Amino acid sequence: MRIAAGVDVGSTQTKAVLLADNGGRKVLARKLTDTGANVQKAAERAFDLCCEEAGIKTADVGFVVGTGYGRYKISFGNAQMTEISCHARGASFLCPGTRTVIDMGGQDSKAISVGPSGEVLDFVMNDKCAAGTGRFLANAAEVIGIGLDEIGPLALEAKRPVKIATVCTVFVEADILSYLANGKKPADILGGVHLAIAKRTLSLARRVNIEPEITMTGGVARNAGMVHALEEVLGAKMNVTPDAHFMGAVGAALFALEKMDDSFEMGWTKDYASHRGN
Amino acid sequence: MLASDIERTFDRYRDLLEDLSFPEVRRWKEADPRRKAVGFFPVYAPVEIIHAAGMLPVGLAGAGDRLDIQHADARFGSFICSIIKTTLELGMTGHLEPFEGLLFSSICDSARNLAFVMKRNFPQKYIDFLHLPHNPSSPASVDFLAAEYRRLIGQLERIGGDYSEEKLRAGIALFNRQRELVRELYAIRAAAPHLLRAWECYVAVRVGNVLPVEEHIALLEQVLAAAPRRDAKKRDSLRVVIEGSFCEQPPLEVIRLIEDAGCDIVEDDFTLAQRWFTEDVPAVGDPVHALAEAYVNRSVYSSVRHDFRKPRWLGLAEKIKASQADAVIFLMAKFCEPAYFDYVPFKQQVELMGLPHLALEYEEKLFTFERLRTEVETFVESLVFD
Amino acid sequence: MAEKSEYRGNIHQRQKQLMLDWYGKLEQAASGDEPKTCSLMVSGNCVELLEAFGIVPIYPEVNALQLAIRHQSLDPILAAEEMGYAADNCAYVKADIGCLLKGITPTGTRLPEKPTLVLCNFVGCNTYLKWFEHVAKFTGAPLYVIDVPFLRTAEPSKEDVAYVVKQLHELVALLEKLTGRKFDPDRFRHAVACSARSEELWSRIKHLAKVTPSPFDAYFDAITLMGPLYVYRATQEGVDFFTDALAELEAKRSAGEGVYERERFRLVMEGPPPYPYFRTFRDMFAKWQATAVASTYSTVGGLWEFGFRHDPAEPFESVAMHMIAQNVTNRNMLQRYDQMQRYLEEWKADGVIIHFVKSCRLFSAGQGDMRDYFSKQLGVPTLYIESDLEDPRYFAEAQTRTRIDAFFEALEHSKAHPQPRPTVAKGTQLCVLPQA
Repeated sequence: MRIAAGVDVGSTQTKAVLLADNGGRKVLARKLTDTGANVQKAAERAFDLCCEEAGIKTADVGFVVGTGYGRYKISFGNAQMTEISCHARGASFLCPGTRTVIDMGGQDSKAISVGPSGEVLDFVMNDKCAAGTGRFLANAAEVIGIGLDEIGPLALEAKRPVKIATVCTVFVEADILSYLANGKKPADILGGVHLAIAKRTLSLARRVNIEPEITMTGGVARNAGMVHALEEVLGAKMNVTPDAHFMGAVGAALFALEKMDDSFEMGWTKDYASHRGN
Repeated sequence: MLASDIERTFDRYRDLLEDLSFPEVRRWKEADPRRKAVGFFPVYAPVEIIHAAGMLPVGLAGAGDRLDIQHADARFGSFICSIIKTTLELGMTGHLEPFEGLLFSSICDSARNLAFVMKRNFPQKYIDFLHLPHNPSSPASVDFLAAEYRRLIGQLERIGGDYSEEKLRAGIALFNRQRELVRELYAIRAAAPHLLRAWECYVAVRVGNVLPVEEHIALLEQVLAAAPRRDAKKRDSLRVVIEGSFCEQPPLEVIRLIEDAGCDIVEDDFTLAQRWFTEDVPAVGDPVHALAEAYVNRSVYSSVRHDFRKPRWLGLAEKIKASQADAVIFLMAKFCEPAYFDYVPFKQQVELMGLPHLALEYEEKLFTFERLRTEVETFVESLVFD
Repeated sequence: MAEKSEYRGNIHQRQKQLMLDWYGKLEQAASGDEPKTCSLMVSGNCVELLEAFGIVPIYPEVNALQLAIRHQSLDPILAAEEMGYAADNCAYVKADIGCLLKGITPTGTRLPEKPTLVLCNFVGCNTYLKWFEHVAKFTGAPLYVIDVPFLRTAEPSKEDVAYVVKQLHELVALLEKLTGRKFDPDRFRHAVACSARSEELWSRIKHLAKVTPSPFDAYFDAITLMGPLYVYRATQEGVDFFTDALAELEAKRSAGEGVYERERFRLVMEGPPPYPYFRTFRDMFAKWQATAVASTYSTVGGLWEFGFRHDPAEPFESVAMHMIAQNVTNRNMLQRYDQMQRYLEEWKADGVIIHFVKSCRLFSAGQGDMRDYFSKQLGVPTLYIESDLEDPRYFAEAQTRTRIDAFFEALEHSKAHPQPRPTVAKGTQLCVLPQA
């Protein structure tokens, strides 16, 4: 059995996945830690926890691909791929009909047009400001004074979502505060915030060709309110798997498996394994 | 019009301005299937020429808060003002269907690029870009502009316009009349602001964007007759000049909140199209040449017109003096680079004159106004308690 | 891993020396009455006319970019913002005005505080009108705006040309007054003839990038060559420089030398570069051994690779023609799309990189539509990235790197597995939607 790993060091969280290839490919373990200030430590921790869960030694892992913003900081990584390639590959693996990926993470949102074998045909990322990202939602939650996990369910209860004009993180605070001052319900405010982000994301996704099936990936996929709002503006259902948050790491692990095959031929892996063994 | 009817009139025209389906344009066109309408992007367009071609010139002014931008921001990304995006969005959502033609001019780089993006996306429409001269000190600029206007006439004829010089002369007279009435309206604003609130004056002028000029003239005459008979109390307010809102328009609520905070807006640069010339365009001689000459020599100063014979900060200084203003509010659309640039020498000029000033930023689409209200109220308080 | 490749031949030394000589002349002008100087815009510059009067050009854009490359642009930008300029004003202007206020010398050498003339050769850039108006106000230097009609038709009309020619004559009269020298038509014709020769050489250099591998990078290396092109084009020194540059690059071509040991990707670049991170940005492409074989930015000063030359037989008309129609900034968006499409086909490029710079709306406003056109209508791999040409605060290194890496990861795959891309037929309008 060959084992490969994908480690996705994101802006807020680090995800690691172990993938086994024994004829068929399956996920052995997945782990999540906060990225924090020390990117390298976070990557190691997530990776070690994964190995622990799978009951294997780190040296049993044949190849590691790093992805996410911290990909170059992973000292034990053999190769790096961008999270865009990884999300496309991961989504195509877990949801084989995927043609469009919408990824909403902490810092970035992306829309990726995907080919039949998980290759990236085209992609766009959000503008530099945090509009349409997890950070924006976290800000809104903070202003309203509730937990990040609660905002999605609460947004689903919105009866009359308020209008949010700006998608600027700074200005939306003022908007939310004045709605609160005017006695608007937090559910309606959050409903409005989610809808504003969904529309913004739709406009982002339109820059690539939106074709079914659409798969949502990234941490924000755990927010039911956001999934609902996006499906509403898209007018279509999305694939949302429990592994949505790990999609980048899954894709990285898939690339790792492939690269491991290549590197066996080139005689790299042995050196690598001995290096890791130290 | 009875003095008591005047409020209802303003409300009606405000509703008309907010209607993105351009009902008056459709109504005008329904009277005759050959009729055509040409929309123009702010700030200025030679409406007389469009009129003389038998077409309806319509001033476009974005979409305020009534249109979600869902397609246009994929074409114009970050750091671009709202009116560029809402104008494109209007096109992409079919709202510009009543217009056979769209005119743009050299007001800023974004507006200029929009003209050509529109051209690619709406190949079935006549879309043109007018180069208005930036070097009025050159004697050649009038001839150049006259040639540019003749090119426009040729294009309008190509899409079915029925132009004649005679009609242009008549059109010039009509629009002279319109501008004269607008000047009278502003005279009321300056002399007795309580008789005509700023937002009312604004609506009465701006509705000229979407009405046939003959109807706009009739409306202005009614307002001018009714205003002095209104039963309104004088109030003790700060006289302010608003500068910087020449293209993208602020929400009506912003104009209201400035007045509610204790300011009388005695002068402004809102919808300049209806008050572009400081004096009448001569209705004699070659009318195309007359119109070009008027642009070069009789235009108001504006952030998007360049005339280094006289810096525009001196234009602002004259406006402040003539309107006996106490303060200046720079009301600038977000990402409006011409307004941002002029803010620096304008501010220096106002400080030289010893007047207080306040800088505010808006977008045509705003749903909450508390922040702006707080800023204006604080500004007024700081002056009243001085 | 990261390949740092850059061509460093004689021409780079020569270029450096020429630029130092130029700064030397400006320094001389700063402390005396001679030589006379004139501030003007790089785009569609009429340096031939200045040369006829022996006037040395000052290009505020070049000063600003020098400042940014040397990582010194933020202080003057902040100084201008303190004065009231907005965060969203062009940072070239802010850096220039900031230097003026703070007495900073952007090039490291002294510049004249008050040029003989501030010449706003407005060429598509509305910001320039404000910029030079402000510079004239703050320095007290005389201002002349030469109004160049924007190219809104396929070719300029005879009225467009006549208008610019008349203004050029007005400018001549003004320069005679300001310099106290009589205009010498022969000297002007000679300058125009030198320009024609420099342009021919420059054009041949541009065409060398058509071969695989390209002997130079038509974005990053072309920028190095642009200095002499704008300052010395109309002089014998310029002709000599471009003669040698062509010979040197032709030798590289004959030897089959490219920018990298192996040229993996060929690109068309659109938009100015992020000068505050010029090196970092270049390395992001070097890592993938990707060469720019053509760029729109290298045509701001003039568009010569498609055949235009100044003409000593019609010196005024050809200067006017250059200003109106033969530089990228005075041409409209759709003409820019066409220019890029020609590059893609004739220079055999794999994809397009669109670099949005927030300062320059002339370049950037509408680049989303450009992206849509190239990626959807033509099916060309297209990358859209954002930063700024002068303000270091708008360069997000990690995000930019991710986008560039992802683009090449995808391009690598599609080059290895060529197949028809899912494209929309030409002429299909994607965005016309039914009424809401």
